[in-house]
Amino acid sequence: MNLKRLLTGSFLLLAPVIAVQSVKQTNWGPILAAPQARQKGDPNAKVVIVEYSDFQCPMCARIDPTVRQLMDVYKGKTRLIYKYYPLTKIHQNAMNAAHAAECAAAQNEFWPYHDRLFETQAAWAPLQDPTTNFMAIAGEVKLDLSKFSACRADPSRELPIMQDAKEAQDRQVSATPTFFVGDERLVGQVFATDGARTIDREIRQ
Amino acid sequence: MKIKPSDIVGLFARVLVGGVLVYAGFLKAAGPSAEFAAALAAYKLFPPFLITPLSTLVPYVEMWVGLFVFTGFYTRYSSLAAAVLFTIFLSVLGSALLRGIDLASCGCFGADMLSPHRTLAMDTVLFVLSLTTHKLNRYPTRWSLDQALL
Repeated sequence: MNLKRLLTGSFLLLAPVIAVQSVKQTNWGPILAAPQARQKGDPNAKVVIVEYSDFQCPMCARIDPTVRQLMDVYKGKTRLIYKYYPLTKIHQNAMNAAHAAECAAAQNEFWPYHDRLFETQAAWAPLQDPTTNFMAIAGEVKLDLSKFSACRADPSRELPIMQDAKEAQDRQVSATPTFFVGDERLVGQVFATDGARTIDREIRQ
Repeated sequence: MKIKPSDIVGLFARVLVGGVLVYAGFLKAAGPSAEFAAALAAYKLFPPFLITPLSTLVPYVEMWVGLFVFTGFYTRYSSLAAAVLFTIFLSVLGSALLRGIDLASCGCFGADMLSPHRTLAMDTVLFVLSLTTHKLNRYPTRWSLDQALL
């Protein structure tokens, strides 16, 4: 092999590495404060888990029992923050569901509403208008229905959802569910396989 | 030297195969590796301890092979390497489809993700183009680094 070929080959091997390193984001930027209603666990916990999630995403619904289980196992050691990331291009009712959950949060009943949205996802996801289902869930979790209806009609209630979605995009989140355990990013079912190990590592640090 | 139709076809195949590999590899490598790791985990084919190293290494292999093919450096060998890569991609994807794995189960990826069947079709076309590149680009390949470095 002559020197010209060796140098050219080396350049071609190095160029992608340099190009990637020059654009790769390593600092994900700040996580904006979330209202207390969308947090659960110990407020002073060492490990903070942030979940970017879409109520109409099947994987988000499937992994939710695992999230609840881990929160039980690590009770007193973790705090979970829920962030809205409705993928409106592929999920027609995602924004609507997030809006309803935000209205439940306004009455301090975010988590029961969140749980029921995931449990009943298959029923409301394909509907043209899921209002009846969302109202039924509101009744189940004992929300004030007139306040809930008024809130659902108020477009300004979508602002926190859009802020969360913007934050997710700024943090290069393109899939749901995406979890940050401390600085560690876990996407989709990887949270189910690696979540406990990652939490343990964060606790040890 | 007279330009033959096979030169034009060979160049077209080379640029397309190389370009796609570089582009796809770059997107994966520049983005968070956890997202590609989640996609790999969905195939249920690799042991968990291999997922993270693979999610870091595979995008670079794609870019290296792609860049070699694109620029025509060791064209005959690099196009063969590209064909091997596409064979691996097709096998992994095909095995997931045969096992009835819902690849969307790794998470919801917004609107920009190709469906598994489209990916299968695209990889098949690129596999054929890699073999075309291998067959048509006799050393030294025209309009290539191989020719420039003679």
